[in-house]
Amino acid sequence: MIAYALRRLLGAIPTLLMLITLAFFMIRLSPGGPFDNERTLPPEIEANLNARYHLDEPLAMQYARYLGNVLRFDFGPSFQYKDWTVNELISSGFPVSATLGLLAMALALVVGLSAGTYAALRQNSWIDYGVMTIAMTGISIPTFVVAPLLILVVALSLGWLPAGGWDWTPARMVMPVVTLALPLIAYISRLMRASLIEVLHSNFIRTARAKGLSERQVIFRHALKPAALPVISFLGPAIASVLTGSVVVERIFTVPGLGSHFVQGALNRDYTLVLGVVVFYGMLIIVLNFLVDLIYAWLDPRIRYDRRWS
Amino acid sequence: MASHMRIFLIILLFCWLSCDALAATVKRGLGPEPDSLDPHRAQGLSALNVARDLYEGLTTLDAKGQIQGGVAQEWMVHDGGYRYEFILRKDARWSDGSPVTATDFVRGLRHALMPSTTAPYAGLLDIIHNARGVRRGELPESSLGVKALGINRLQIVLESPSALLLPVLTHPVSYPRQKSFGRAYNGAFVMAERVAQSHLLLKPNPHFHSAASLRLDALMWVVSEDNNSELSRYRAGELHITETIPVGRYNWLKKNLPDDLRVSPYLGTYYLAFNLRHPSFKDQLKLRRALSLAIDRETLTRVVTSSGEQPAFGLVAPGLEDYAYPEQVEQTMTQQERLGLAQALYRQSGYGEDNPLRISLRYNTSTLQRRIAAAISAMWREYLGVVTELHNEEWKVFINSRRQGSNTQVVRGGWIADLADPVSFLEPFAADSSLNYTGFNDTQYDQWLRRAANAENPFQRGDALRRAEARLLSQQPIIPLYYYVSRHLVKPGVRGYVDNVMDIHLSRYLSVAEP
Repeated sequence: MIAYALRRLLGAIPTLLMLITLAFFMIRLSPGGPFDNERTLPPEIEANLNARYHLDEPLAMQYARYLGNVLRFDFGPSFQYKDWTVNELISSGFPVSATLGLLAMALALVVGLSAGTYAALRQNSWIDYGVMTIAMTGISIPTFVVAPLLILVVALSLGWLPAGGWDWTPARMVMPVVTLALPLIAYISRLMRASLIEVLHSNFIRTARAKGLSERQVIFRHALKPAALPVISFLGPAIASVLTGSVVVERIFTVPGLGSHFVQGALNRDYTLVLGVVVFYGMLIIVLNFLVDLIYAWLDPRIRYDRRWS
Repeated sequence: MASHMRIFLIILLFCWLSCDALAATVKRGLGPEPDSLDPHRAQGLSALNVARDLYEGLTTLDAKGQIQGGVAQEWMVHDGGYRYEFILRKDARWSDGSPVTATDFVRGLRHALMPSTTAPYAGLLDIIHNARGVRRGELPESSLGVKALGINRLQIVLESPSALLLPVLTHPVSYPRQKSFGRAYNGAFVMAERVAQSHLLLKPNPHFHSAASLRLDALMWVVSEDNNSELSRYRAGELHITETIPVGRYNWLKKNLPDDLRVSPYLGTYYLAFNLRHPSFKDQLKLRRALSLAIDRETLTRVVTSSGEQPAFGLVAPGLEDYAYPEQVEQTMTQQERLGLAQALYRQSGYGEDNPLRISLRYNTSTLQRRIAAAISAMWREYLGVVTELHNEEWKVFINSRRQGSNTQVVRGGWIADLADPVSFLEPFAADSSLNYTGFNDTQYDQWLRRAANAENPFQRGDALRRAEARLLSQQPIIPLYYYVSRHLVKPGVRGYVDNVMDIHLSRYLSVAEP
């Protein structure tokens, strides 16, 4: 198992290298530069800015310099937000996005797994159809519709919650968390339903029933664990996605998370900020996918990672 | 005696309560995250607005946007306007209690001009003797025409007499600098908390020379990248003042929040710019005039932009009291007369029904820009038969295309003045300006600008600037469409927020009576 973990972690290095390389050259290929603005800077000031950020060096040298800095976990200064380094922006934005993301994921797991299980156990009943209709609605309605609707009803009409902003109080978290969780609930409940139905028709469940186990024992002891596998697979990238923030939710609720840096960075051609967020996001996905694989092994003994086990 | 004491205590309690009611936190919408709070490196409006609250220059603005003494309590003009001597307030202090000295201003101005500072507005200081050379790294900082004559006496020598010095000294690029920058502020407020992409919490500076006049406990600048979100927060009572209003919500706000909506003239002009290097428009004055006259600005501002904008036929926006605006013949004509003239000029340029002009109109991707471009394209087609190809580009791509001019014909343009002075509008069209993307290169125009810069008195200067603008309009490198307006929502309980053409509202004048 340890050898497998090491192999996986070593395998992540070329993936990250490729990610950095692609991102580095793609952002440089995009037209316009970080200092292009409505008020065009005098040429001497633009030249000084280019020199300050080493943009006057050959691209290969800039790439080598950037790689060296990334190895030291130094993502450099932000071109747009001159008072901040990219590391500072990530470390201030990530806890906010991560808190919202984890809360949304927890809510989605509780509601989604329960709804999916409930629907599977009452397959083709009106409850099943009801849950799946709600799930389809959750998937279909985009967050940029849900979020303003929530603000309109909950904040402006009812006055129950603040319309936006962030100060780590539960009141400001409720609407962003619910908005983030809704599509996740929909996905998880559909995945869980389909998977559980399939498991409930498999031979080992029939055997369990034949042995005289109660339905409760069959479901909780034998069916739920294998039925959760597709959900676990989905969780890896899904957690990485919600942890790094949703641009739409952060903009609409004025949440100072990581997601807005990604879009603003790209729009401003803030090369270092975009690259920093991409590399950080890439590392997070690799780590989370790795954790998901480990959980997989724990849930499903058929999966063997170490040759010595086979 | 006991009853007197009771009455005294009641009065004291009442005073305490009423004082507490006056003191409050004002929450202002800021717009995007400030790019830098170093006043010399600040570029965006949001950064400049916060810098104005944290620091103060030799001169500053009052609530109406008029220039008044800041750190300088008085100034004398010598040598026919070449030399200014400023006397600094003795009670001007940094927030760490140390005095603001003339040396701090010398250090500040030199720092702003140092090439390594890369100050985006350093060019505003070019009126100071040798500033241009220092900025370009051709002269040492010590050669700059700024000198401390004493702890609170400062001398500034100009390249030539200029009315711009006092307005320039209100700008953050001219602010003083302590030896160890970032530890203290000399403005009305100090930074208490800054959360990226969220807010900046400012507290009153107890050492500010007019600290007794401040009415706020705290000031919160709230960052918002999305105008609709800002509006929601305002409506939910979480903001006192918004940075702007969302596009397309003017009529709704006028109907539903009439007491809160503040729309007033703003020193900015929206225009279309010709690429005069392109064969279609080079030496085609009649065609350029025809295209300008064919646009119905009244309909454009009433139906398309519809946020209170004023139709424009000139470049310099109204609101400059000392400026004699040039006569604009087109403005006195009816739209029918303009159309008749436009069609005649179009035909004289060699175009007609059988041979329509085909041009491209390029703008940055945004709902408003798309609507304006579509409306103009429709007007040109209907009144002249011009076939217009619309191109929208992402902002940075657009800026780049417009600057390079290799694939542009007509582009969306616009300008907001840095200073309340006509030259702020006119200088971007000088042949050697880095802001001139039209390719306009006119000897007469440049001469009038030079005459204005070297004028011996305000009358001569004003006259030269008026002639420069008249020359520019007659050559039609641009089609002025409308003058900008500033648009804010301000809670009726907010005091000290006065509409002004610069749309600069220093927070030191604000107070709020909470309901």
